[in-house]
Amino acid sequence: MSFSFPPERIRNFSIIAHIDHGKSTLADRFLEITGAISERERKNQILDSMDLERERGITIKASAVSLTHEVNGEEYLFNLIDTPGHVDFAYEVEKSLQACEGAVLLIDAAQGIQAQTVANAMLALEQNMTVIPVFNKMDLPHARPEEIKDELENTLLLDRDSTLQCSAKTGEGVEEILQHVVRDIPPPEGDPNAPLRALIFDARYDEYRGIVVYLRIMDGSIRKGDWVHMIGAGAEYETIELGKFSPGPVVHPGLTVGETGYLISNIKRLEDVRVGDTVTLRKGEPVEPLVGYREPQPMVWCGIYPTSSGDFENLRSALKALKLNDSSILFEPESSDALGFGFRCGFLGLLHMEIVQERLERESGMDVIQTAPTVPYQILLTSGKTLEIHSPGALPDPTQYTEIREPIVTTHILVPTESIGPIMKLCMDRRGLFLRQEHLSANRVMLTWDLPLAEIIYDFYDKLKSGTKGYGTMNFDEPRFEASNLVKMRILVNDREADALSVICHANAAQRRGRAVLKKLRKEIPRHQFKIPLQAAVGGKIMARENISALSKNVTAKCYGGDITRKRKLLEKQKEGKKRMKSIGNVEVPQKAFLAVLTTDE
Amino acid sequence: MGLGERRNKPFSVNPLQEKGVSLYVHLPYCASRCRYCDFNAWVADKADFTSYIDAVLHEAREKATGLNPQTVFFGGGTPSLFPKEELSRLFEELQIITGYQTSAFEITAEANPESFSEEKASVFSHGQVNRVSLGIQSLQPDILRAYDRAHSSEQALQALDRIKRVFSQCNVDMIYAFPGQHPESFFSDLEKLLAYSPDHFSCYELSYEPGTALTKKRDAGKWNPEDPDLCEKLFLAVQEIFSRHQYSHYEVSNFALDNSPCWHNVATWRTLDCVGLGAGAVGWEGGVRQKNILRPVEYESAIFERGSATLEKEVPKKETVLFDLFMMGLRMPHEGVSIERAERLTGLNPLLVYDKELAQLRQEGLLRVTPEQIRVTPKGLLLLDTVLQSFLPTQSV
Repeated sequence: MSFSFPPERIRNFSIIAHIDHGKSTLADRFLEITGAISERERKNQILDSMDLERERGITIKASAVSLTHEVNGEEYLFNLIDTPGHVDFAYEVEKSLQACEGAVLLIDAAQGIQAQTVANAMLALEQNMTVIPVFNKMDLPHARPEEIKDELENTLLLDRDSTLQCSAKTGEGVEEILQHVVRDIPPPEGDPNAPLRALIFDARYDEYRGIVVYLRIMDGSIRKGDWVHMIGAGAEYETIELGKFSPGPVVHPGLTVGETGYLISNIKRLEDVRVGDTVTLRKGEPVEPLVGYREPQPMVWCGIYPTSSGDFENLRSALKALKLNDSSILFEPESSDALGFGFRCGFLGLLHMEIVQERLERESGMDVIQTAPTVPYQILLTSGKTLEIHSPGALPDPTQYTEIREPIVTTHILVPTESIGPIMKLCMDRRGLFLRQEHLSANRVMLTWDLPLAEIIYDFYDKLKSGTKGYGTMNFDEPRFEASNLVKMRILVNDREADALSVICHANAAQRRGRAVLKKLRKEIPRHQFKIPLQAAVGGKIMARENISALSKNVTAKCYGGDITRKRKLLEKQKEGKKRMKSIGNVEVPQKAFLAVLTTDE
Repeated sequence: MGLGERRNKPFSVNPLQEKGVSLYVHLPYCASRCRYCDFNAWVADKADFTSYIDAVLHEAREKATGLNPQTVFFGGGTPSLFPKEELSRLFEELQIITGYQTSAFEITAEANPESFSEEKASVFSHGQVNRVSLGIQSLQPDILRAYDRAHSSEQALQALDRIKRVFSQCNVDMIYAFPGQHPESFFSDLEKLLAYSPDHFSCYELSYEPGTALTKKRDAGKWNPEDPDLCEKLFLAVQEIFSRHQYSHYEVSNFALDNSPCWHNVATWRTLDCVGLGAGAVGWEGGVRQKNILRPVEYESAIFERGSATLEKEVPKKETVLFDLFMMGLRMPHEGVSIERAERLTGLNPLLVYDKELAQLRQEGLLRVTPEQIRVTPKGLLLLDTVLQSFLPTQSV
């Protein structure tokens, strides 16, 4: 691969798609036909480099790769930036799109337009990017391109005749996509002779080499040995290595305008690299920073605590390391009576939260306890000020505020026509406000509702899936805060308030929620030698109660000569399990119980 | 609590020698696999009984020549399922190797109703078996079917009658707390069986052991065990019934008419030495615990190839030996753990080692501590596993 391509022969683009519409397969196919990897080398879905991504079959983190390919007799450099497809990761998609001039909008030719198809396409169109619609999986017998063209016109106002068709699986039509990328997506603009301006769109921590920074060069160029200046972070480093991904890292002496690649400067301070920051050269005239990314707005918060209290500092470093590569995570220290010292962490959504927890455990080998998630609330204080809280425990005394506001999201739900009834009911049950119903095609409908985000983060998505036989998809816009009749429900275990278990909920739902939580707790908390009363209270009023009766029998029925070692080990294991429990007063509570407030089952 | 005091009286005889050794022989095949069973049992459809008995005898020659055990237990599996020729051969040869028929005062063999014919009874009798333990578990046809038992209630009563006629001692094995079973139907089973006056009952609460079909179903959420409060009521009711019939409640799940406990089992609860023969058999001798390979064919080839089939060997440290004495000894409410004996065996004085724990458990009304012995109270027996957890040493081996 030659070092330098003139900008007119570079194309920076993304593939945007709903989850499972074949994005990673298409990316693999691009790698193959451009000769970046041979078929023999091909692992499935090269671009999903995190174990977790491959296991879950989803893309979480954006990833970049540079390919060269001949179109119409000319050699072009394609920088393909992969994007995630899940609702939680709209922020990641936005970051990836900033480094591109255009996008391939990939749509499953059998499933049609899905909620994330709409959401991601809107993100691209809002940035005035060229969008090339491509129908994938055309080899499927039940592909229905004509119907989907209707949906495309109705939802995104895209021209039906601009649509390409392919099968990433067989390779049919893939070459044609690259030709259209060259023809339709504009080459990068930017001045090769201007001072360097490069956008950090991703970063990864490498144990041996420090932080690997992913860059898109917007103006000028950079060479090995240059001293760079991160404008936002105010940090300076000498460039030790530059390179491109094709798909593995390949060292290059420099990167120039329009190109995408990586920079290694032996950076160890995590705070020095901020995704969205602008990189320039230390010497030379000062430059305007590029328009940075919008700050992420975490909409789901939960407490994360180390299982053993000595691990608090390790947890802090682990969270910092994750934040480097996922700047959307926010965290602040907090403490709980039962759980000790930990962090209140903010996430983009529930899946994001789950993934961060898994990554924490996997990448740092830490055992953590997570409390039930909550949305942020705005509290209008009697003083006239507004306070944003991220945990029910932070809610001030009722005398100190006049109003609680909760996040409301306008939600677009795409469902088959026959599932309209159950989904309407689901939305009503979740305190929704119906806005409109639009027919995308003969048998698919988009429902639009205003829903409290707090109602969505429980099991709304599961209920949507089961209510539509798996065909329903959803997406929601940015939340806004609206006043609501919300109360804090406290949970008392053996007459002691369990701060980690309290929850903010709608006054009308308090009793139902209280009952469900206590029922769940009764199952999770083992019997003790004394009776344990459980209560759910709003203010001084008890909304629900349950009792865990005293343990009065705990004896192994059978124990003979052959059982001695095994029975002893069993007792040891039980004792070990007890040690890992957390105490609320004199009650030992297993970690799982702290998620009891998640339950909505009657 | 309505528990008679008589059950706490120790037996007036003690035929077990402190230095004596017991012999356990495992015969692992069964007609079918019961859904709750976690014993080392294998369905017999492809079993080579001859080869298995060959292996046991070979192992006996290696480990038990001239052993002269004080008790013998042929357990299973289902010993009565083995062909009569193989059983005769086992008894004869084992007598030649170990001298058990003259040395042992108690020789027990387990039997299941479906395979305990007149012929088998006679073979047992020739092998000097003097105590037969019959696995009945229930007389309710629906329960026998639901748990894949291979016999009917009629077969069970016939077998019991046969044992009573031929053998001097007899045990009946029963299980209760089958989910949904009406307590009265279990009590009426007991009354029917009590009419035969067997001198011993083992009465177990249905337990969910790791790996059984029942446990898998429970863990998958497809099976709800009986309510713990009802289990406790049944546990106490069973004691009440046996107490009324003059049986002594001498171990958590075992009841005996005067002076007829299963001495072989008393020996294991005292952690006296025992040699184990057969697949999965465990032996405890001179401070070493050994367990054999579980799968019969693998056990056989190991024995034939190298004369031993040891799978695991444990040499517990003295703190663990002391714990094991408590774990087993406290199961016997009237006998408990002798302080003098514990110190003699381990070099540790439990009153010092468990100083704080004993004070606490005594205060909670779970233990009785005298200068001679430590025993559980009726409440302590119900909470024995909780009691034992406080004695656990930090590292067991």
